[in-house]
Amino acid sequence: MDVDTAKYITFIVTKDCQLACKYCYLVGKNSKERMSWEVAKQAVDYILAHESDMPEEAVVWDFIGGEPFLEIDLIDKVCDYIKIEMYRRNHHWFNSYRFSFSTNGINYHTEKVQQFIKKNSTHLSIGITIDGTQRKHDLNRIWKTPEMERGIMPKPEEERGSYADVVKNIPLWLEQFPDDSTKVTISSADIPYICESVLHLYGLGIHEVNINVVFEDVWKEGDDSLFQEQLMQLADAIIDGGYYRDYACSFFAEHIGKPMDIETENQNWCGAGMMLAVDAAGNFYPCTRFAAYSLRSKKPIIIGNVHDGINKNLLRPFLTLDRFTQSPRKCIECEVASGCAWCQGENYDAAHTETIYERSTAICLMHKARVRANNYYWNKLYRKLELEGLREDYDENHRKSSQTPC
Amino acid sequence: MERKKVGQVTPEERDEIQALFERRNGLNELAQVLTADNTELYERLVTDMGKTSSLFQEWWNDMSAKYQWEATENGSWEIDFDTCNIYLSE
Amino acid sequence: MLTYLIILLDDTSVSFCHADNPRCERRLIPLDVLRQGIRFAMMENLTIQFVYPDYPLPADYASVIESIDHAKIKPTVEAADVWVTDKPFEGEVDVPVVLRITRQELFAQTEEISNLIGHAPRLNIVITDIGAFTDDDFERYRALLADISARVETLTKEGRMPWVSLVTDRMALTKMNNCGAGDSSITLAPNGRFYVCPAFYYEAPEDSIGDLEAGIDIRNRQLYKLEYAPLCRRCDAYQCRRCIWLNRKLTREVNTPSHEQCVVAHLERNASRTLLANIRKANPNFLAETKIEEIDYLDPFEMKREK
Repeated sequence: MDVDTAKYITFIVTKDCQLACKYCYLVGKNSKERMSWEVAKQAVDYILAHESDMPEEAVVWDFIGGEPFLEIDLIDKVCDYIKIEMYRRNHHWFNSYRFSFSTNGINYHTEKVQQFIKKNSTHLSIGITIDGTQRKHDLNRIWKTPEMERGIMPKPEEERGSYADVVKNIPLWLEQFPDDSTKVTISSADIPYICESVLHLYGLGIHEVNINVVFEDVWKEGDDSLFQEQLMQLADAIIDGGYYRDYACSFFAEHIGKPMDIETENQNWCGAGMMLAVDAAGNFYPCTRFAAYSLRSKKPIIIGNVHDGINKNLLRPFLTLDRFTQSPRKCIECEVASGCAWCQGENYDAAHTETIYERSTAICLMHKARVRANNYYWNKLYRKLELEGLREDYDENHRKSSQTPC
Repeated sequence: MERKKVGQVTPEERDEIQALFERRNGLNELAQVLTADNTELYERLVTDMGKTSSLFQEWWNDMSAKYQWEATENGSWEIDFDTCNIYLSE
Repeated sequence: MLTYLIILLDDTSVSFCHADNPRCERRLIPLDVLRQGIRFAMMENLTIQFVYPDYPLPADYASVIESIDHAKIKPTVEAADVWVTDKPFEGEVDVPVVLRITRQELFAQTEEISNLIGHAPRLNIVITDIGAFTDDDFERYRALLADISARVETLTKEGRMPWVSLVTDRMALTKMNNCGAGDSSITLAPNGRFYVCPAFYYEAPEDSIGDLEAGIDIRNRQLYKLEYAPLCRRCDAYQCRRCIWLNRKLTREVNTPSHEQCVVAHLERNASRTLLANIRKANPNFLAETKIEEIDYLDPFEMKREK
């Protein structure tokens, strides 16, 4: 099925997680807000009863947290109900659906999760997040302590990384989902470890690494130069090491770094509004990033709830957003604009007013650094392939990144 | 297992078999959760599984007749949904 | 470009637009604030519209008000440049009238309202609950606009063309003519602070856009401009008020109209198109520059989504 054009429906099943990742945008995580069966059922009933409002040919039922697999019993029950109801209602999505999970991987091997995987094996997409080498992973992805819930942060020497608890499940995951990818998030402190981390993930057998810099304004002076240097090292390592044919890293993409036409390339980047998220209270959001636990400084944007349905007027701004209307002049005139992403939720959170129409440009220098390294990568790779007479073979057979804008 | 490209179908033909493939998988997984006490749905499912399997096989019969793909005694054909290519696997 | 300054002379100044003024406690604008507001308008080259309450102002206000060219928006017809009322009037009136009315009142009084046409130089009908329109209401509104158009057509053929905002404005317009709050106009409230429009003051007095001392500071000011409204910038329902307050209230964004506002505006647009065609049967050169194409949608959002 074509996930690029699918409707994404996200259940925020819990706001709890075993980890307390330092870069996590979920500022309001807690162990109290867990979705009940009643709310989940009402959400499914509402969504399936409004088939004409959601005409997308395919659907991705996405379960997130916190850590979604903490709620495997609920998820299992909900997925069974979804399957039965889609079939009973003769809903067009029965012929094209996926259940999707982004997990920290810690509970992946448990019996309940494995039973669930077996039961739904042809309809699953599971991404385990592992950030790279142990030192890179453990830099951010640390275990949560009971004290943290009370606001007491551990001393650096008391922090416990989660690498070992995740990496042990990677072989099983790759055996079951050899084509799935991992997601890596880069914040300021992670920059020095980018090259070694991607190569480490390749070494673990992960063939696709989807990697992004965070959209938040966390960048320090000089970060762009360091970032560029890391990507250049990575480019050399991928090309010289021959990884380019069978492995993919989303940092390197041919289409990025070009000027964009204001008429023909005016689409919004982000899919907020075309997605639908529901939380434990039964509130609907245009994307999880607009739920209260994701926002630092703004009120949540609730577009309805499982009882009253969706207020379509509140969706209109999301569905009419375009690049021109939300971008400052420097972005419209930017000569390397293509591929420069944004997150509508972060735009809203960082905006000067209560609007989703103000694009945050915190990643501007990082994007430009990426473009320079990206240009270097493709110039080097294509020259090598041409000299070896392998350009056509590469174009036809190399692994392409499956990452699509959220 | 050896795999050899033996032909290609059109995107429209690919869409037909992909839809049947998805439906067959959906029905198979639904069968694991639907119990016989849900009489109405269960009977519908059983009928549907038979019908979908027949359509699935019909597609392969029609296409192999149309394109005359290479075949071997122990081999089976596979389709790559991304490229529409047909492979013979042994 | 900022062109108009609306000055609310009192907290109970009459509402002349979609939003009701919920304030009933009098709070007159201090005289020094009034003077500073006028001085600000003079320096910024703004045309002032004074909005009056329903009680007489102290005598010393008159001389300050008359110190600058202006328009008076009043809840009484006496000495008004624009008279705001919430009931159909009787007799002849020699100033433009703003009739503020709910949709149910409008549907219930179609005949009375049709009879007002031609008895004032201009009749602006402002519906105060656009956000509550249902699909049935849209059909009733379509019928009402046809009735009003018939009356306008009759008078026009008699050589006495009346101006009724709902059906004649679009006939005379060749580009958007919206309320312009935050773009071409701002409001000075009795507290000495500036607001996007009076409705923003009524609802959230803490959300001002500046004051007389610090000046105006409209954050994301571009969003009040037509070219930053994706649904509106290609729309040709030129008579639409494109009410910034209603946008904010119903869609959360100042640049995005609600479904109800779009459909109401397009029903008016289409009624104007029919009216124009009917008038041109007798007078082919009537408003010759105006073109209103036939369209098959009432909400541009549906068109945008299909694309």
